[in-house]
Amino acid sequence: MSKSYEEIVTLVRDTLVEAGSTFRQDKKDAYTRAIANETNDKAKWVLETILENAEAAEKNRSPLCDDSGIPHMVLEIGEDTPVTGRTLDAIRDGITAGLRKLPGRPMGIMGDDSHRIDQSGGLNPDSAGVEPAPILIRRCKENVLRLHILMFGGGPAIRAKTYRVFHKHNTQVVLDEIVNWSKEAVSQLGCSPCTLAVGIGRSHFEAASMMLQAQVDGCYDVQSEMEQEITRRVNEADIGPLGLHGKTSVIATFMKVGPQRASGVRIVCVRPCCCFEPRIATVTLSD
Amino acid sequence: MAFDLTTPISDADIDKLKVGDTVTISGYILCGRDAVLPKVLKMIEDGTVGELGVDLHGQVIFHTAVSPAGVGPTSSNKLEIESSIAPLSAAGIKLHLGKGALHPETVAALDKYNAVYAVIPPVTALLGAKTTEQRVVAFPELGMEALHLIKVDKYPAIIGAAHGRSIYE
Repeated sequence: MSKSYEEIVTLVRDTLVEAGSTFRQDKKDAYTRAIANETNDKAKWVLETILENAEAAEKNRSPLCDDSGIPHMVLEIGEDTPVTGRTLDAIRDGITAGLRKLPGRPMGIMGDDSHRIDQSGGLNPDSAGVEPAPILIRRCKENVLRLHILMFGGGPAIRAKTYRVFHKHNTQVVLDEIVNWSKEAVSQLGCSPCTLAVGIGRSHFEAASMMLQAQVDGCYDVQSEMEQEITRRVNEADIGPLGLHGKTSVIATFMKVGPQRASGVRIVCVRPCCCFEPRIATVTLSD
Repeated sequence: MAFDLTTPISDADIDKLKVGDTVTISGYILCGRDAVLPKVLKMIEDGTVGELGVDLHGQVIFHTAVSPAGVGPTSSNKLEIESSIAPLSAAGIKLHLGKGALHPETVAALDKYNAVYAVIPPVTALLGAKTTEQRVVAFPELGMEALHLIKVDKYPAIIGAAHGRSIYE
């Protein structure tokens, strides 16, 4: 049995609201640990205020941040799970309903190609005027249809970077570059502490998709040695929450390494996710 | 030190503030960002800023949009925002509220006009409970980026630049 069109719309709507208004438990725990470990009073105050804001947003089911974000989706498809054009239509209608319910910031830009570039076509006053990004599809082991919704803010997008790194057949060279990019990005991002989302692939598209999947698969409680090293080295830069100094510039790093090319180059994508990101929620759309 | 500020903010209020002080901000404050601040500067240049119907002297400008999603600081070091800080301070604005490091020349301009810059955490859900009124003052065609006047109760902030010093040094 598959869910009806209306059931999918409702589930997607409520999942978008959850993504935009809720910290997952592992993130709350990570903030609690950071507050306990932070010795800079101003940094501690910022961390406490961000966690208090998360609790208020979850209680009110209201946006964590006024930049409520652009919906990005990862759709996981199991072995015998049918996905039709109507399924995608229902997901899209659910996104529309969710943006209105949250409510999202009305930041859809209207007009033709040129108008949308220079913002001369005006803003769509409807929260649902914000178009979601294209859906990323991947296979999953369980026989389900599972949707992850992530809300991407503008600040991290400004400071993110996707570029080639000549690795010199040494992983450390790539990690050093990620750390250097991250220090610069985190220092420029107003809304830290960050979660660094890192993707490494063979093309810019693949690296960016790995960065997106890293946010889906990442967990604050489980960090690889490479993720721990990146977090530790960026935190040594004493940038701190909101740039006010302290130990907590980065809460964690989520990194996904994809297949690599037989070549001296790796394509690396680093997104300094803001203090609220990953804003993510997950729903199963099959019975 | 911790201070409670209420608009209009006086020169005496500014004199006692130091980088790193925590403050709360209450009263009516203006909200504007990238799109509208250059238009306000043009009104100052043209001598028509009085048409806003809001006295800029002692005022706060919060670098935010005002939308159904709420309010929250955008980066104050965006070109169109940071370049507004000196001329708006000269016109009487006493406190610029946003986030992110400012350039040294902006910090110096704040000192010249006895104004300060404060950093506010991007805590939209908390700020919503502390925002009791809002209305569009000018340029309604800009939607959420129009110049807004809101009434706030104890917005939390940290002084980020004052008297020639910056917390980002």
